[in-house]
Amino acid sequence: MKRARAIQLLRTGNAGLALILLVAIVALAIANPAFLTSFNLYVVLTSVALWTCVALAQMTTLSTGQMSLSVGSLGGLVAIVVGGLCELWGVPLPLAIAAGLAVGFAGGFLNGILIATTGINSFIITLATFSAFHGLTMGLTRAIPFYHMPASLKALGNARFGAVPLMLGIVLVVALVVDLIFQRTRIGRYMLAYGGNATSAVLSGLSTRKVVIFAHTMSGLLSAIAAILTVGRLQIAQPTIGEDWLIISFAAPIIGGASLTGGYVSVTGTLLALALLAVINDALVLLGVDPFWVQVVLGGLILAVVSVNRLREGRRLGEAIAR
Amino acid sequence: MSNVVDIRGASKSFVGVRALDNVSIDLAAGEIHALLGENGAGKSTLIKIITGVYVPDSGIMKLGGQEVSFRSPRDAINAGIAAVHQERNLVPAFGIAENICLDRLPVRHGLLDRAAILADAEVWMKTIGLKLDPATPVRQLSVAQLQLVEIAKALSLRSRVLLLDEPTASITPHEADRLFEVLRDLRSRGVAMLFVSHRLEEVLALCDRVTVLRDGRNTAIGQPIEGIGRRDLIRLMIGRDEETTVPPRSHASDGAVALELKGVATAAAHRDINLTLHRGEILGLYGLVGCGRSELAKAIIGAISVTAGEVSVGGRPARIRSVADALARYRIGYVSEDRKGEGIVLDQAIATNIAVTVWTRLARRWSRFLSRTREYAAVRPIAERLQIRAPSLAVLAGKLSGGNQQKVSVAKWLLAGTEILIMDEPTVGIDVNTKAALHRLIRELADDGKAILLISSDMPEIVAVADRMAVMNAFRIVGMVENTHSYQDMSAKIMHVIHGVADADAETAGSGRVA
Repeated sequence: MKRARAIQLLRTGNAGLALILLVAIVALAIANPAFLTSFNLYVVLTSVALWTCVALAQMTTLSTGQMSLSVGSLGGLVAIVVGGLCELWGVPLPLAIAAGLAVGFAGGFLNGILIATTGINSFIITLATFSAFHGLTMGLTRAIPFYHMPASLKALGNARFGAVPLMLGIVLVVALVVDLIFQRTRIGRYMLAYGGNATSAVLSGLSTRKVVIFAHTMSGLLSAIAAILTVGRLQIAQPTIGEDWLIISFAAPIIGGASLTGGYVSVTGTLLALALLAVINDALVLLGVDPFWVQVVLGGLILAVVSVNRLREGRRLGEAIAR
Repeated sequence: MSNVVDIRGASKSFVGVRALDNVSIDLAAGEIHALLGENGAGKSTLIKIITGVYVPDSGIMKLGGQEVSFRSPRDAINAGIAAVHQERNLVPAFGIAENICLDRLPVRHGLLDRAAILADAEVWMKTIGLKLDPATPVRQLSVAQLQLVEIAKALSLRSRVLLLDEPTASITPHEADRLFEVLRDLRSRGVAMLFVSHRLEEVLALCDRVTVLRDGRNTAIGQPIEGIGRRDLIRLMIGRDEETTVPPRSHASDGAVALELKGVATAAAHRDINLTLHRGEILGLYGLVGCGRSELAKAIIGAISVTAGEVSVGGRPARIRSVADALARYRIGYVSEDRKGEGIVLDQAIATNIAVTVWTRLARRWSRFLSRTREYAAVRPIAERLQIRAPSLAVLAGKLSGGNQQKVSVAKWLLAGTEILIMDEPTVGIDVNTKAALHRLIRELADDGKAILLISSDMPEIVAVADRMAVMNAFRIVGMVENTHSYQDMSAKIMHVIHGVADADAETAGSGRVA
């Protein structure tokens, strides 16, 4: 039984990912002792914290077998709403954050309701809203950032306990809640059920509209959290926030084992994938590699991991045939 | 008896096609009501109306005397109607238990109550005789096990009305018997059941009344099954007598060996397989679902690796590495049992589906371009020979009836000049008429000198068509039987062969698949 458990654990892929991460950390620590300095670890963990909600936002839409191209542009809109409210109108920070979350909620809800009512593919709908949100952000700000952020927001983005940023604590709580939603709540299971077999969801009498709208709304909220943290970290509300989210938003959940066709996602896997990406990124910096090469490595990594998953699936198929 | 479900004059059309025309049926409490008809007669459409998947264009539906109109499957579930649909209704990554309870996942303190889910599901798994860990993800299950999970799921709704759309298509006779026991028990407790099956023997043994559809119309409404025979049912379904007699073989095999397996073992757990297939011969391969028949076929065509033993084609040792290899070098074709998944491409034209095996031959010499004209010219004779019924060869394969799809699936191998044809359950889910046509075709092909390996779990079929039979059980060939063409005689012999071995190693056969 114990052995069966262990095999099951290996199959789910998280153990393999954890192992690769461990090897990467040890190798880097040996290659360059600077890796283990408190400040460097802080930098690595900060980037994990900043990306976590971005990845979870995409993971949520992936769970239903859909996607959202507007994760980043919605984040940008949230960022300038929060920034604008604080700087132009002096709205207190909690209210500004609440407004930002509301914008994320509304943007996601809009995606969901458009997809659920028109029946048009999520790729097309979110391609359209991606453009609309981005245009709105640029139009409202004329591409000029808001520079004067409240001190409390800056503190949120920069507070640290040794090597551990405060933001990491926040996103881990968020991740825990997301995991709980997918593992232990009805709506979470229904999102996965819809992604795994849409016919089954329909025939079981689930409201597929509700599931789709919930997934995109949840995704929008997670984008908003990511955007607010990013503003706190950068200390300015840039309209360009979110422009570089798209690749990582897909890469992390997929490296973490999510199925592109829906039905399976892993919060742990996604976090491990983000950690691995952050360590690799850090390694390239420490070893003095041009940052543009990081993107090449990221691309290679996605291919490698998906191939490994593919092989594993293939073996499973072989077993199924043999049964 | 009171009518639980009463449908009067239901009609339903889909873009130009009248699927149901003024159809009536009523289900009484405590009865098993058979719904029969050829494929495309409208059975599934009727079931989907009762379960709220489709809204009928006209007609009245009453539930316990009250008129109802369902707008969604949820309405039907709430009204106490459960169904086993033909479509796979399970979420692959979820466990058996969660799939069974999917529409009513129990919650405690806002979170799923996992213990309650497992306990709930275990009851129903036990009822149906499914001895597996309820947490096993369903993607790890065999087709028969999946079907049993579907049935358990439907039973678990404890509904007053249970609709079963071909529940026995993929399970073993033993599992079917168990299911019938459960259904009889439900009948004694007043559940109204609708039972769809292509196996008339089951219907005659199990059901109380029968409703028959032909081309979307009633040819019988709730007739008592007593006094109705197999012939009558077939006449109601197809409008005339079934052509039961397959003409005797005019040509015998010339004795040349087409395919020989000696002591073959495969990656799919086959051991010591010995099999000889002659030119002009139809060799039946009989065995229950999951005994390794299709896997053996896939090993022969190179889709599963052969790990030991010798394979020879036409008397020469053969090493078949891939399906392309099997076709190009050894002229072996495989008609898959999974017509829609492996046999044809649903959203491509008939012509494309058939020509795919000969594209390299059809391509222009220098440019390597394919021309539509050449493709059609090559395909037309074979399509005519097999009598594929469609307005044109440009019609998408997905629009065809099951029988015509199967003909397309066979045609592509014939066009490629296959000498050895492996046909895996060629008539599953196919109406009586097309079935007879396919049987004739198989005979003709053998008469032309092709070697046919006919895999089937349909005993009447294999008795009618095959010359000899290999019987398979638990990934071994357990016996060879010469066909006497007498159903009684053959079924006794085959069962004897299977059970003779099954008794000896009941362990392996019975528990082989339990995780």
